[in-house]
Amino acid sequence: MADLITTLLTIAVAVGAILTTVAYLILLERKLSAWMQDRRGPNRVGPFGVFQPLADGLKFLIKEDVIPARADKVMFLAAPCIGLLTTLLAFAVVPFGPVNDQPAYLRFIIAPHVDIGIVFIFAVTSLAVYGVILGGWASNNKYSALGSLRASAQVISYEIPLGMSVLGVALLGGTLNLENVVAAQAQGGFWQWYIWTQPLAALIFFTSALAEANRLPFDLSECEQELVGGYHTEYSAMKFALFFLGEYTHVITMSFLTVILFFGGWHFPWIATPGSAYVGAWLVKVLVLLSKVFSVIVFIMLIRWTIPRFRFDQLMNLSWKALIPLSLANMIAVMTVRQFGWNRWWLLPISIGLFCFVGIIGVSAKRAEIRHRHGASQGAGLHPLGGAGI
Amino acid sequence: MALVVEATRPISAASGNRAHPLKNHMPTAIINNQQIELKEGERLNCIQAAQRIGFEIPHYCWHPALSVVASCRMCLVEVGEKKPDGSVVMQPKLVPGCQTPVKDGTVVVADSPKVKAAQQATLEYLLLNHPLDCPTCDQAGECGLQDYSYKYGRGYSRLQEPKNIKPDKDYIGDHITLFTDRCIMCTRCVRFTREYSGTSELQVVARGSDEEIDVFPGRPCNNELAGNVVDLCPVGALCSKDFLYQQRVWWLKETSSVCPNCSTGCSIQVDQNDDCVYRLTPRTNPLSQGHFMCDQGRFGWKYIHAENRLTFPIRRKNGQIRTRDWDDIIPSLQKALTKAAARAPEKCAAIFSPWMACEEAFILASYLRSLSPKFRLALGPVRVAGEDDTYPKDFYGRPLEPVRFTIRAEKCPNRRGVSMVLEHFGSVATMGDVVAQASELEALYAVGGDPWGWLEPVQAEALSRAALTVVQDIFPSALSEQADYVLSGGSFAERDGSFVNYKGLAQEIRRAIRAPDGARPDGRILWELSGRRGLFSAAAIRREMAEAIPAFAAFAAGSLGESGVILNEHGAPQAKVVAAVEK
Amino acid sequence: MTAAADNQDVIWVEEPEIGFWEATFLPAIVEGLKTTIRHVTNYQPVTQQYPEEKPILPLHYRGVHRLNRDEQGRVKCVACMLCATACPANCIDILAAAAPPQWPDRDKYPASFVLDELRCIYCGMCEEACPVDAIELTHIYDLTGTSRNELMYDREKLLDVFDQTKDDPRDPTRTRRGRLGPAAEFGSLPTVAPATPITPGDRSAQAPAPGVIHPHKPSDWSRKPS
Repeated sequence: MADLITTLLTIAVAVGAILTTVAYLILLERKLSAWMQDRRGPNRVGPFGVFQPLADGLKFLIKEDVIPARADKVMFLAAPCIGLLTTLLAFAVVPFGPVNDQPAYLRFIIAPHVDIGIVFIFAVTSLAVYGVILGGWASNNKYSALGSLRASAQVISYEIPLGMSVLGVALLGGTLNLENVVAAQAQGGFWQWYIWTQPLAALIFFTSALAEANRLPFDLSECEQELVGGYHTEYSAMKFALFFLGEYTHVITMSFLTVILFFGGWHFPWIATPGSAYVGAWLVKVLVLLSKVFSVIVFIMLIRWTIPRFRFDQLMNLSWKALIPLSLANMIAVMTVRQFGWNRWWLLPISIGLFCFVGIIGVSAKRAEIRHRHGASQGAGLHPLGGAGI
Repeated sequence: MALVVEATRPISAASGNRAHPLKNHMPTAIINNQQIELKEGERLNCIQAAQRIGFEIPHYCWHPALSVVASCRMCLVEVGEKKPDGSVVMQPKLVPGCQTPVKDGTVVVADSPKVKAAQQATLEYLLLNHPLDCPTCDQAGECGLQDYSYKYGRGYSRLQEPKNIKPDKDYIGDHITLFTDRCIMCTRCVRFTREYSGTSELQVVARGSDEEIDVFPGRPCNNELAGNVVDLCPVGALCSKDFLYQQRVWWLKETSSVCPNCSTGCSIQVDQNDDCVYRLTPRTNPLSQGHFMCDQGRFGWKYIHAENRLTFPIRRKNGQIRTRDWDDIIPSLQKALTKAAARAPEKCAAIFSPWMACEEAFILASYLRSLSPKFRLALGPVRVAGEDDTYPKDFYGRPLEPVRFTIRAEKCPNRRGVSMVLEHFGSVATMGDVVAQASELEALYAVGGDPWGWLEPVQAEALSRAALTVVQDIFPSALSEQADYVLSGGSFAERDGSFVNYKGLAQEIRRAIRAPDGARPDGRILWELSGRRGLFSAAAIRREMAEAIPAFAAFAAGSLGESGVILNEHGAPQAKVVAAVEK
Repeated sequence: MTAAADNQDVIWVEEPEIGFWEATFLPAIVEGLKTTIRHVTNYQPVTQQYPEEKPILPLHYRGVHRLNRDEQGRVKCVACMLCATACPANCIDILAAAAPPQWPDRDKYPASFVLDELRCIYCGMCEEACPVDAIELTHIYDLTGTSRNELMYDREKLLDVFDQTKDDPRDPTRTRRGRLGPAAEFGSLPTVAPATPITPGDRSAQAPAPGVIHPHKPSDWSRKPS
């Protein structure tokens, strides 16, 4: 019974915190983008625009709720709910603080001891694409449909490198339970963080995570220049807000995972170690984790306002021609190291080597392509950029 | 001193071959190095001859229907003669092209630098005192001065003295107004009132630079053809009071049509913009009336935009309006007529209006006859007002011979065409018969269309006693107030069809504007009523008529062209007549 | 070689060869991040705080229209409808009428002049078309209303705009020679400079004062058009 109450409380706190955070993350993102672009950002509602999220929320609530005349109503309403629900659901197995040495009533994970944690997260978050596809299809709008088609292709493509890059970590730690992954890193100290032995996996994971969350530079499914608004073109008011919340929750979840998988979770040398026994150590650990997550989120935002959007074929090339082979090779490397009981530090040069290898292949392929194009154009008497026969 | 020009320069590749001096060669003239052949007995001046080769010699005072005065000097050209030995002798002076006849061997040069310099000088002189008020002038856009200044003029004035501005006339007529300062003294208007209307109201008064157009004191220009001087005026001096400041002419869209106000059937243009008619102007058609039209026709179209037009159809039951919806009324009317014709075939009658187009009469007659072969068809009242009014007249208003223009007493456009259709269908009743037996009638289909009313109150009272009364009209009448069905039709400007004038000339009327609100062109109403599919097409009906009725054989082509075709009572168009008159 | 490739105006650019680091995208990302972060750390906003700070507009700014008045306070417009003809948005609707008898120098005036400010695209063609300098565009850019009808500016409203803006240095009355246009005063109008191109051989048009012909040698004016 007490367990149930604790769980419910944790859920309430977690969901409440996430939704509030999302609101202020949006403000932060708007401010950040404004600073980058020499603007001021929201500054009308309250000092420095701090009440802007409230105003936005109010606007979402009282705005006219438009359902297009020929939309599939049930699907149309279900889509944003699915979108938000799945991303929130993934949070169930994510530890957002230390899970062992804190008071019993403070449980920093909604569902403790889930041994298939990582698999659960991937299973649930990839369901979010249903929300996108249904939303796009039910809107009965060509732009929405195109956006959702792109989203589905993209999510399916990036699911593979995402999953395979995590497998290396799982193999090294011998567990799929996120609590244990953190514990394993914390035990070994700073140099045990998986970022040192799995830098390539971290890069692949982070890149794929951006694509999974439909964040720039991978937000092909809602790119304004081509698709008006993508799958949520026809959405307004609270339903649009739900999509938005879903997207940001996804970002938060992915940031948590990045930190937990590769950056030692709540662990930080000297301040928060498994041995820290001072009063309020759990609080410090939570803060350490949260500040790590916050840094990742800010980094994602920086990326968003820095890198232009990919073209769709580039997006697909990146996944199928680079990320998937790389993650596969990385996994094989980890398996080899484990199998033969080599020192795990071998993985660092292997990762760098793999990265260089792929880079070199990419360059030579590009050069070969240019050469080939030249030859073809001279042979046919055509200019490579077309315009022949004018 | 004669100027001799070598005739060796090539005239043109094509005509050069034909330039051999043959024995019985066609009389030829040379205009701007191009050869034209003159027909036997043809009397052309230089302007007309140049029109043959598609070259325009600018002119103001000359008009094909008026006498030649050669006063504007705009058409000055070089004229010479080609001698039998091939040399060309040019006259040393420029001569007015309008006054110079073209005969065998005449050489006209209308595009030489000398001619161009003369045109420029003439225009500068005409524009000396002409005000620069094009923005406020109604003629702007169809103004001879504007067009020629642009083509032949120099674009600015060298005059330093103030312009000689004459005050506008207060009143010279009910329909026309005179902006004296804009006048270039071409005297077309003066010649028109002397030669065409014969009423001679307009005069040139004073001399030299004080010259102006005026009327005699107390004798304003109010004859029935006065409106034509507005069209004749090449500048904006004479304006129509009715059209003044209503619309800029470049916004008007013209549709060729026929004036419906009398059986002369003048060819006209309906000038409209945005579904609003602004004016009617005559269209030159030697087959019908020539160049002009009367003021009754010119200003007699205002009813098109009248407030009280029928703008929706009505179905009544026991005096109560049941519906105003076409989609409802047409099927129910079909049913009602079929029922009535089946119940008592001989007790059905229809009144055809002389304002109907031939096509409409044909569709209605064939539809009613298909319901019942005994359907009685009658021609409705033909309004006649006074006597035929012929022009020119003398000072006392007595008509003179030869007649140049006639305003007919028969005030409807298509009496002849409708009766030709009815004759084909046979068993023609008279209007009187129908009225007399109205109370016994099972069904009565009455078509109106005369905007000035066509029914006496007594007749209306009688006709409304029929068991089923259908009225198709554009204005409400005593009959339409009680009719079971009222079909709101279209005016002549809203319909496609053809009118046959008093002498059998069939001309097309074309749809210029859309009918207001729920009113529909009669052709469309009848097309749908008769159960035809698709959209109403007057040309398709004309082809059908040409097959069905010998008298309308000339309709076979579908289109009647710009000037129409002459029908005779026995069929077959008088092709020769058409050809001759067109030349 | 095709005609297109021979064209000297076209510069063909080869796709740059990319090296190893470019192929990994990393330098570009780092470079981009540096730029954006530099903007955050060295924050110099250029935003104008609009309602508090008003922008300084160039003199040729095209805002709300006005109908100018002549010296006697009458509407200058002569209802020639050239603005309505020139208007690409069809937003001007004029009803012309004969001028009232108190205006002896005028033939025609606009009985109604309605300009739909919402439909207008502020291209300024009406201003250019106007032969009497009656319609002009002012600097007023913050045009608001609570209904569409409110922004259908009629003659009086447009004259009001003139009254409001006539003394504003940003809205000089762009009337030719500081007086009424030609249509209103054709009776006493001095010779206007040529509106159409002058032929090189026309001496009078080149004369410093119209009508005065200077004794040039023919070769002078035929060779050197001014």
